[in-house]
Amino acid sequence: MDLYFIVTQLISGFTMATLLFLIASGLTLIFGVGNIFNFAHGSFYMIGAYFGYQLVSVWKVNFWIALVAAGTGAGLVGAAAEFLFLRRIYGRAQEGGFQILLTYGLILIFDDLVKLIWGTEYKSISKPSGFTGALQLGDIFIPTYNFAIIVIGLVVVVAAWWILAKTRPGRIARASAVDREMLGSLGVNVPLVLTVVFGLATALGGMAGALAAPLRSVTPGAGIEVIIDSLIVVVLGGMSNFWGAWLGAVLLGEVNAFAVAYLPAWSTLFSYLVMVVTLIFRPEGLFAPTRLRKV
Amino acid sequence: MASSSKYKFGLLWSVGFVAFALVPVLMTSRYQMNLASHILIWGLFAVAFNMLWGVTGMLSFGQALYFGIGAYSIGLFVNHAGKAWYLPAIPIGLVAAAMLSFLLGLLVIRVSGVYFTMLTLAFAQLAWQVTFKWYDFTGGDDGIQGIIAPGILANKMVYYYFVLVVVFISVWFLKRLAYSPFGLILRCVQQNPNRVRFIGRSVKMNQLRIYVISSVFAALAGSLMVGVDNSIHTDMLFWTTSGEVILMSVLGGINQFFGPFVGAVILILLEDIIGAKTEFWPIFLGTIVLIFVILFPKGVVGEIQHLRHRLKIAGESGGRHETHASA
Amino acid sequence: MSGRKLVAIAFVLVAVCLFSGLASAQDKLVRIGAMYPMTGRSGLYGMDSVAAAEMAIDEINGKGGVAGYKLDIVFTDSKSKPAYAVRVAERYITEDKVHFLFGVVSSGVGLAVTEVSKQNKVIFIGTDHAATELTLDNYQPYYFRVSNNTFQSMTAGAMYLKELQKERPWKTITYIGPDYAYGHSQLEEIQYNLKRFGVEYQLISKYLPKLYEPDYTSYITSIIKDKPDVLVCGFWGGDTVAFIKQAKAYGLFEKMLYFHPDAGGNYELMSAMEGEMPAGLVLSARHHNNWPDTESNRKYVAEFKRRTGRYPTYAAEGAYAGIYAIAKAVEKVGNPDNSAALIKALEGLQIKLPEDPEGFTSFIDSQTHQIVQMQAIGISEPNDKFPPAKMMLGKWKIYKAEDLLPPKELLEKRMKK
Repeated sequence: MDLYFIVTQLISGFTMATLLFLIASGLTLIFGVGNIFNFAHGSFYMIGAYFGYQLVSVWKVNFWIALVAAGTGAGLVGAAAEFLFLRRIYGRAQEGGFQILLTYGLILIFDDLVKLIWGTEYKSISKPSGFTGALQLGDIFIPTYNFAIIVIGLVVVVAAWWILAKTRPGRIARASAVDREMLGSLGVNVPLVLTVVFGLATALGGMAGALAAPLRSVTPGAGIEVIIDSLIVVVLGGMSNFWGAWLGAVLLGEVNAFAVAYLPAWSTLFSYLVMVVTLIFRPEGLFAPTRLRKV
Repeated sequence: MASSSKYKFGLLWSVGFVAFALVPVLMTSRYQMNLASHILIWGLFAVAFNMLWGVTGMLSFGQALYFGIGAYSIGLFVNHAGKAWYLPAIPIGLVAAAMLSFLLGLLVIRVSGVYFTMLTLAFAQLAWQVTFKWYDFTGGDDGIQGIIAPGILANKMVYYYFVLVVVFISVWFLKRLAYSPFGLILRCVQQNPNRVRFIGRSVKMNQLRIYVISSVFAALAGSLMVGVDNSIHTDMLFWTTSGEVILMSVLGGINQFFGPFVGAVILILLEDIIGAKTEFWPIFLGTIVLIFVILFPKGVVGEIQHLRHRLKIAGESGGRHETHASA
Repeated sequence: MSGRKLVAIAFVLVAVCLFSGLASAQDKLVRIGAMYPMTGRSGLYGMDSVAAAEMAIDEINGKGGVAGYKLDIVFTDSKSKPAYAVRVAERYITEDKVHFLFGVVSSGVGLAVTEVSKQNKVIFIGTDHAATELTLDNYQPYYFRVSNNTFQSMTAGAMYLKELQKERPWKTITYIGPDYAYGHSQLEEIQYNLKRFGVEYQLISKYLPKLYEPDYTSYITSIIKDKPDVLVCGFWGGDTVAFIKQAKAYGLFEKMLYFHPDAGGNYELMSAMEGEMPAGLVLSARHHNNWPDTESNRKYVAEFKRRTGRYPTYAAEGAYAGIYAIAKAVEKVGNPDNSAALIKALEGLQIKLPEDPEGFTSFIDSQTHQIVQMQAIGISEPNDKFPPAKMMLGKWKIYKAEDLLPPKELLEKRMKK
């Protein structure tokens, strides 16, 4: 085994992990704060990719501006969906199942809307100028765009942790996860907090979609393909923990990278295996919040 | 109240049975019988699933695993050991499902809520992926085709009545179970687990028991499906199959024993009618799901009962009551 | 609350009523029941097939139909789900009384539907699924396929690689393809054919990522480490797009020859990649928009573009061929009801198709019910005549249709099963 290859593969795993994390981060946020299980999160990823396509490829907007705009757009759609539909089922008995179903309904609707607006053809976005090449260190290649993704991923995880842990809006958001009634009686507009958080979470998903689009194909149904892997990441991380999700993504990415290199015939089994093994030994994920752990 | 509802149930029960029994007589094409078989089998699957979710409060997202075991037990035996194994493979599949659900049950009931949901999903997806990859044994993603039931069951009409009888006996059994003392404990497990402990019963033991029972009936539904389609696929183990029974339960009503069965009728007919007429079926189905989840959370059966209840109150007191908080 | 509920109930009822209206039946129709995916990732292939089938039907009915019959087709979204497609096929046969089942993009769905066709003795025209077993191991007399299968494209591929060894010596191969039957059988078939043609080579590694895998980074770096001379690829559709986009930044295409003989040359790859498509990739597909350069192909491509606003993928030509095969068979027999006679008519049937070069006519092999067509393998090069694509294939090598059929011993071995 040469060392160069091991390092290369580590970086590959890390690239994959970062995109997984970026998609899953929104899912973590909304579960951690709102206790909402957004099965349609992948659809916001898809919507972000289509918004990115429309802005960059059709309207020729600068890529980085488009990235922010696509995320914002997906976030607005998300906030609207929360305001119109999701908030009507909060607090219901068996809410979890209803959340899954409601968001499943949204998946169906968004997939069809995308098909109605953009058709079934595959769309694509070019990489931003200056990010088409690769960095080279000896035998190790890192495409500059992949490098940019890794950096953005790190920025997001640090920023999200900082906002949630150190700022007042972050504290309010965390408080709403623990006791909504108490927070409401303190004069905080809890429904508004949830709408905003849902908007932010889907904006993260949408941004991940636009960011991934230059590396992937933009098609209807793209959302459903990423949701299961994102779920695995979120579960590994303990459902509501940003660092947990980030580490869960790294674990999944690296296991996959080395499974591909050394056990290629069985590589597709590993993501499920990692999840099952982790959950057998730590049923509430690697970083379960203590309040959820039961004796 | 109790005796009159028992009487009403008996009446509904016979009406349902007769209606399904008349399908082959009244049908204008054999397809309607095919559709009715799907409804019966999915209805059983959904009712069995709802014993877990609606009754006990355990939302499993992995019942497809047992549905698949029932089907693949027949497919694998017929493929590897010969046609004579078709019928023996059904009980073998049920026993396999019981054993596996017991072992996995020990693992999954350690957690509750969304963790339980995710863990069941993880196991089912793992099983799906193994079935999908193991070409030499399971046929991989090609599935197994041309599995014909033996003897007289090869006749589609005979098979239909076979399905009808098995499904009705199973649903009757599950209903007895749901309203037995065991069923009451299960409801208590959902609503107030501590009380279950106070009366000296184990929450986990009852959860495990119902998990195994529900899984065995899911496997039975899977094995019945083989004779209808004559082919099986890895799709049967995929998460979308688990999702389908959740959807059926909500459409029909999760707090009503027959809700999921009615949900199966509605979903299968909807998919069929809308799917046949437009490629944009997802937007219609999605809208209907939204409408049900938001406006009719009690499901069709639940809403009808609720409406009857309200009419009764209106008739008695002359006033209108808004009573949707109670479930 | 109850007012809103009433509106909701009304919506559901109206939706149901709208869709349950029965189409009035006319007499003297050849009824065709088509199943294609119209949603999700493979929706593009399905929608292209639908458009091309309608185009062929309009052409035929515009000329007065066949043998006094008009063609009539109904489409249902197969959802790429075998169990659902089986239900739809049952409905077509018993409710709509179709004369032909038609379509299907996924081989898994194809295998399930061919079983329905066999049991109900209704002819099934397969237009765009490539699994070889449908015309070998799972052969049944009521099934016909009107596009090349993977065995044919892999035979052409092996011939190409054999010739290549003379021009540009290569010794090692790595394979990457999706982890399901389609990906596996391409690998088996290219190995089988290379061996059959006496090519000396070594398969040094194989990778089987899951279908619709979004991230190939780890695969790419691992392939580069293996340093094969040739990378044989078995992806289709969006997976090819994602793989090429991700591999390009790693310089994979300068390090080895990229060879993708079954679905790599499909138009949606060129159109989705636009300016990012690398030159020098060796690709093929079951139909090309710029080969053969015949009047018939030009007309077909232009007409498809006029009707849909986009250029066709190869799936479209399969559906187009299927309708013409049905029309020809019905014309020969004189009615669509006698399926035994229709099978006879379809066996050995010759159909001149857009993808046939001058001097060749596609025909259906009477032993396997598989259509026999030429295969052209090309190299990607700049060409902006089919926007938004910036590259198309060129420098063609053409493989004769008859040479691509499975050899006798393989036929005997696999058809007996």
